[in-house]
Amino acid sequence: MKYNTNIKPWVGYLILGLTVFLIFCLIFESSIQLPNLIAWLGRWHPLVLHFPIVLLLVAIFLGLTNNKIPKLLLVVATLSALVTAISGFMLAVDATEKGELLILHQRLGSAVAFLAVLWYLLVTLNLARTILIKVLQLVLGIVIFFAGHYGGMVTHGEDFLALPTIGKKSLIIPENPLIYAHIVQPILDDKCISCHNGNKKKGELLLTNFKEIKKGGENGEIIDETNYKNSTILKLVHLPLDDENHMPPEGKPQLSTSEIQILERWIALGANDTLQLSHLNSDETLVGLVRKLQQPTIQKDWSNLPEVDDEVVNKSNSNYVNIARFANQSKALNVIVFKSPTYSDSIFMDLEPIAKNIVQLDLSALPLGEQAVSFIAKCVNLEWLEVDKTPFTDEHLESLKGLKKLEIIKAYDTEITDKSLVVFKNFKNLKKMYVAQTSITATALDAFKKEHQNIGVDAGINPSLETFFVVKEKDTVVVKDEK
Amino acid sequence: MEKEKKSEETGKPSDSENPLKVNRRHFFSQLSVGIGSLALGSLLIPDLLKGKGDELLGQELGIPNFAPKAKRIIYLFQSGAPSQLESFDYKPTLDKRQGEDLPESIRNGQRLTGMTSGQSKFPLMPSAVKFNQYGESGAWVSDFFPHIAKVADELCFVKSMHTEAINHDPAITFFQTGSQQSGRPSMGSWMSYGLGSENKNLPSFVVLTSRGKGNSQGLYSKLWSSGFLDSKHQGVLLRSGKDPVLYLNDPDGLSRSDKRHLLDKVSSLNKIHHVETGDDEIESRIAQYEMAYRMQMSVPDVMDIKKEPESIIKLYGEDCQVPGTYAANALQARRLAESGVRFIQLYHQGWDQHGGLPHEMAGQAKDVDQASAALILDLKQRGMLEDTLVVWGGEFGRTNYCQGKFDLKNYGRDHHPRAFSIWMAGGGIKPGITYGKTDEFGYNVVENPVHVNDFHATLMHAMGINHEELTYKYQGRRFRLTDVAGNVVKDILT
Repeated sequence: MKYNTNIKPWVGYLILGLTVFLIFCLIFESSIQLPNLIAWLGRWHPLVLHFPIVLLLVAIFLGLTNNKIPKLLLVVATLSALVTAISGFMLAVDATEKGELLILHQRLGSAVAFLAVLWYLLVTLNLARTILIKVLQLVLGIVIFFAGHYGGMVTHGEDFLALPTIGKKSLIIPENPLIYAHIVQPILDDKCISCHNGNKKKGELLLTNFKEIKKGGENGEIIDETNYKNSTILKLVHLPLDDENHMPPEGKPQLSTSEIQILERWIALGANDTLQLSHLNSDETLVGLVRKLQQPTIQKDWSNLPEVDDEVVNKSNSNYVNIARFANQSKALNVIVFKSPTYSDSIFMDLEPIAKNIVQLDLSALPLGEQAVSFIAKCVNLEWLEVDKTPFTDEHLESLKGLKKLEIIKAYDTEITDKSLVVFKNFKNLKKMYVAQTSITATALDAFKKEHQNIGVDAGINPSLETFFVVKEKDTVVVKDEK
Repeated sequence: MEKEKKSEETGKPSDSENPLKVNRRHFFSQLSVGIGSLALGSLLIPDLLKGKGDELLGQELGIPNFAPKAKRIIYLFQSGAPSQLESFDYKPTLDKRQGEDLPESIRNGQRLTGMTSGQSKFPLMPSAVKFNQYGESGAWVSDFFPHIAKVADELCFVKSMHTEAINHDPAITFFQTGSQQSGRPSMGSWMSYGLGSENKNLPSFVVLTSRGKGNSQGLYSKLWSSGFLDSKHQGVLLRSGKDPVLYLNDPDGLSRSDKRHLLDKVSSLNKIHHVETGDDEIESRIAQYEMAYRMQMSVPDVMDIKKEPESIIKLYGEDCQVPGTYAANALQARRLAESGVRFIQLYHQGWDQHGGLPHEMAGQAKDVDQASAALILDLKQRGMLEDTLVVWGGEFGRTNYCQGKFDLKNYGRDHHPRAFSIWMAGGGIKPGITYGKTDEFGYNVVENPVHVNDFHATLMHAMGINHEELTYKYQGRRFRLTDVAGNVVKDILT
């Protein structure tokens, strides 16, 4: 491998000088006071850092693939690595308190610069034995990766590169939450702390915990308990988006109206960390806002069901078969079949691909046959079955014994008899059965009810109640007598 | 392909006149395909382009936000505003202090209608009808409603409803559309828009009206209008006579297949027009013709109560055999619910008792009492109360003071927006509870107020819809049923 050697000698001195300067900086970091102009140079760090990453990676790539690395490339890459490390150092001095991430990033960044210089030295002094250089290149590549990664985390927040979670992050808010800990801080975590954390403390302000929030930032306290409208934090979020001082800055995820309201009400109520929902009057706006956050948890966990494509769902939908997902993105399906003029059990053939996803199945008033019932038996995840007003029999129910998840069976007006009661016992999760207008006898049902009190049995309208409705002896309006 | 063929047949604008077959609207509709594919991308990765819930932009959802407890709603609307003080809100204080003037501290600046603002005194008027407690829940129900009293344990009474409007039209419009001014979509239309229809052979929103002998207020089709939503979400009013839908039968000499050909031809002409203008209402119209064609088959089946057994007829009361009565409508409501209609809206007129209240209200109550309670029992025995939400109530309450001459047996009550009672049952609502409380005068809500917007939010929640996310963009801003307000009343949900 041969490198171009027509590089001016002063370049070597420059590299040497910058390296010494960097080492000096690192050693005497704590005692260095930077003049403003120099500190300002540090602000260029986010710009220049891209050069060493790209140039070094190109050089490494060429090296590892046994191609010739132009000397000029190596020189420029090494110089840019040094400049980046030094500017980064200046930027860090500008910041007051360093978080772990920042320290890690700084060390790795300096390592990149030193490794680049080492590589340059080895090449220049012709000490480059291939295997040594290759190892160096490999190590350098890895270090660049991690330095860049931690640097990114410092700038954009720790979970910037975390994989997007499907759907909303489900924060579980207790029934009677602490307003600060369960409501306010999660909002700050979500929208503010990517810039106001220990690693990146914009405006000297930390929003990671209650103490720091109360302390405020470089412009003093951000919360004014005496007059909440005067609180800096509220003023800043209320500024128009294009205002320079608007928070969060344009381009970052913004606070929603209700989040702003929550902050506002929390501060108006004294901004303390002991306030709980139950302390508030029901006409307090905050109650409504919090309740809203606590909302929909109705969604059952159907995550174990197999995936089902929209295409498959839509294909089986027709004028007489309605298939719908239980909710947005849910894998659970609700299927209703209506009686078409040309109804036959064969329509269930089309539904076989989705059988395992069907959680609720409504086959009311259909002239069900054997084929339909054998289809039901295939819906192993079924929780809710409606076969009312169908020729559904004891044998049919018997063949559904495998549907262990059944919770509700509506068998109103069917042909089942006392024999079916034995089968009903088998459904361990059964909560409700509707068996009015069937051939099940009252005595058998009473015995069943006694034995299985956890199952709600509806055998129709209470006879005495029905009599009240049916018998018309009365003109019921009773106007009070004279007072 | 098919479109081109059709245009040959009809000799519509040929290619030479418009070589690109593109006009401005067509161009934009094509453009929307491009945007559509972007939208598809966002469907595959649902939150990809998600800003702040802005992604609906008027497109149909078809799916709920979370698993619903209720799949359909039967809303038994008592038009004219039944008095809470003679139905479910028992106030013995009015007996004790009858005739006394309403204390100013209680009225507290409440505006009055033109009907009583001239009165020099506001004498407190007790209920002319007795109250009793019923069921395990011990709910108070007046003797006007003996049947509803029997099913009290199935019901959730909300005694702390309040509204903003004080006159019928704005109040009923507010209840149905979330706005006092007309023009917004009705609640049923929002549900249809959000959830789509369950049975594609019937409209997803059906309206049935009936009228009692009491003082009535008008009902207008704006109450079931789809407003700015697609007109296919509009409520379909079934006539109260013997033919609920007119012209269901084809004329003599027209066979079903002739009808099919006719519809196909009309539809092809309409499609040409649609290509020219790009007007979405044309597509709605085509869909509605098809719906009407299928309704010819489905409606007679649903509406034919002859199939109901004697016991059911007796349960709802013999009146239910007379088309156009409340009882008949209540029975139809159950049949429509069974057939997959999402939102069934009943209106019973005649509850506006400014005078002669004891007598008039007795008649009104008799119209609705048995059938309302029967509906609950009937739905329950079929297991339909599991997923059908029933609501009973009017547009506001009535004053605790007397309107007109003070006569304990023949008095009137004026409109009162600050507090009134309704009940709900089934579909994710806790049974056998009473929610909210009014003061001893029955004038102000003192505990757990439920605003009309909260009521809407709660119904939508039961149906699996987050009321803040079901929006439609119109005239430059997004609208929702609850507009900018509404809290789900979690305490009454199971």
